[in-house]
Amino acid sequence: MTARTGSLTAALIITIAGTAPALASERLLQDSCSGCHTAEESGLSRISGQRKTPEGWMMTIVRMQQAHGLDISAADRRAVVQHLSDTQGLAPAEAAPFRYALEKDPNYQESLEEPFASMCARCHTAARGLLQNRTAEEWELHMDFHVGHFPTIEYQALGRDREWYKIARTEIADYLAEQNPLETAAWTDWRAAEKQPVAGGWVVMTDLPGIGEAYGKLTVIGENSPYQISGEFVTADGTVHPASGQMNLYTGYEWRANLDIGGTAYRQVLALSEDGNSLQGRQFDRGNDALGAPLTGVRDGAGSSILGTVPSAVPAGKARVQVVGTGLESLASSTGSTAANDFGTALSLSTEGNGIVTFSTGNAEGQIAHYASIDSIRVEPEFTIARVGGGSDSGPAAVPAYFNAVGMWNGPDGQAGTEDDVRIGRVDAQWSVANAHDHAAHMKDTEYAGEMQASGIFLPAIAGPNADRPFSANNVGELKVQAEAMGLRAEAMLIVTVQRFIDPPIR
Amino acid sequence: MKPLNQKAERVQQAAAEGQMDEVRAMQTVTAGCATTFDPGWEVDPFGGLAALCQPMEADLYGCSDPCWWPAQVPDIMVNHPNWDEGAPNAAKDWRSLGATYPADAET
Repeated sequence: MTARTGSLTAALIITIAGTAPALASERLLQDSCSGCHTAEESGLSRISGQRKTPEGWMMTIVRMQQAHGLDISAADRRAVVQHLSDTQGLAPAEAAPFRYALEKDPNYQESLEEPFASMCARCHTAARGLLQNRTAEEWELHMDFHVGHFPTIEYQALGRDREWYKIARTEIADYLAEQNPLETAAWTDWRAAEKQPVAGGWVVMTDLPGIGEAYGKLTVIGENSPYQISGEFVTADGTVHPASGQMNLYTGYEWRANLDIGGTAYRQVLALSEDGNSLQGRQFDRGNDALGAPLTGVRDGAGSSILGTVPSAVPAGKARVQVVGTGLESLASSTGSTAANDFGTALSLSTEGNGIVTFSTGNAEGQIAHYASIDSIRVEPEFTIARVGGGSDSGPAAVPAYFNAVGMWNGPDGQAGTEDDVRIGRVDAQWSVANAHDHAAHMKDTEYAGEMQASGIFLPAIAGPNADRPFSANNVGELKVQAEAMGLRAEAMLIVTVQRFIDPPIR
Repeated sequence: MKPLNQKAERVQQAAAEGQMDEVRAMQTVTAGCATTFDPGWEVDPFGGLAALCQPMEADLYGCSDPCWWPAQVPDIMVNHPNWDEGAPNAAKDWRSLGATYPADAET
């Protein structure tokens, strides 16, 4: 009982702004978990030796439900995640290198050293392991957990033909205990830091896949999760998409929101900066997280700050450009006229040929390119995957892929593809796909794997064996994604592969 | 060594043509893809699809039951014992194979 009192006291002290009362949450944790986890000096067994992201804790509790029969309501589960994330979360600096996994970036490619790559990341992202901090004993138990739950781990490829368990218990566990220990200065400092309130007005900029580049304003109301959010997003042509929803704030900075934007459900996975004045992360279609884009935000009225422009580049001639940010009433531009508005300042331009318009106010500065010609285009991403899906009520939905064409100038050296190339911005393109090689042509991948939309979104075909294909193959394919803009062409590689039946928040 | 089927023949052909050097290191594939090399779930040793089991339903249980892609495909050995319930033949009953992570488990 002494131990339990100790953890209660700790929970009371480290209550973070924007959370439920720590005492009630600690009781809920005890009620939900102490049936199996015993009270020890440091807290509940296993649990007290770990720190994780909100998604990490959620995945753990889901596993307790699926593997160990934990009975917990969705509301209590979220409350436990809130409490554990607030009291045993990650500091902003600890989560920063691996935010791509939380943001479900479909195009990120990890770069890893051995043996971590083949020991851990052959099945899941390295981020899934590295977004956790544990005691040395907990890291050892984590290796044993893998053997217990996935007993064939030692004879899968890259598991067999070596002493997998020995490497896991020594090299990997030791490495993780040193790299990601339970106690860190970053976490101690973050727990002690004064947390900034998240409520208020935010100016934001993003891209709504299939709709276009967009800027907006969101107002956050409340003192605890769930906060209420309302506002709007506006595309370059001035179309307004109303936005409303709820946001949970974990660990004092992890912003997780579900918003309806113009009738489509979106999710935001953002990080609030330590000074409380900016947001950074990714916004994506809640039902299909491959369709998303980076989102940045600045607190309305927090000095002068420029997030960027919508559109990101303009053809030469007359154009209206939204400079997105705050405190831009006195924006000075190298050309054109300015008019301040709720989202920053609108810029009216009349340009000729190729060039760059610069603008600034105070310490904030930005630029936008205008073009009559471009030297090359790029397709972004250069490589990604999509997945077949659908065709059933319970199976995974198809996972599309989202491409953009970006205009480039050669830069001073006059050569395309060199370091001094100038990135102009997004350009309109015509999209098509081609078979990537002879085998793809033989399998007629372009006919079966899916369809390329005019918006740069590839929609994969239905799941299941297809009797019309050799071997009754699935509608998978290896495709070149081709963009054509202003007489220029560029390609990217797309693999349309099979569905993923286990798809947790951290892959 | 004589290849027993068409796919094995292709692998042998690839080796003969020196294409084994084109094997993608696993971290060059989109983060989170399983690339255990016999074969991977999403991609094969060549970073493509040609050497994967196709259709994957034809041999799905032979690999998923013993937990071959534990992060992508439910295993019925330990973690998801009822996943294949009512679907004895994956190639015919694939519509019954569901996603296992609960949709409401959102942070």
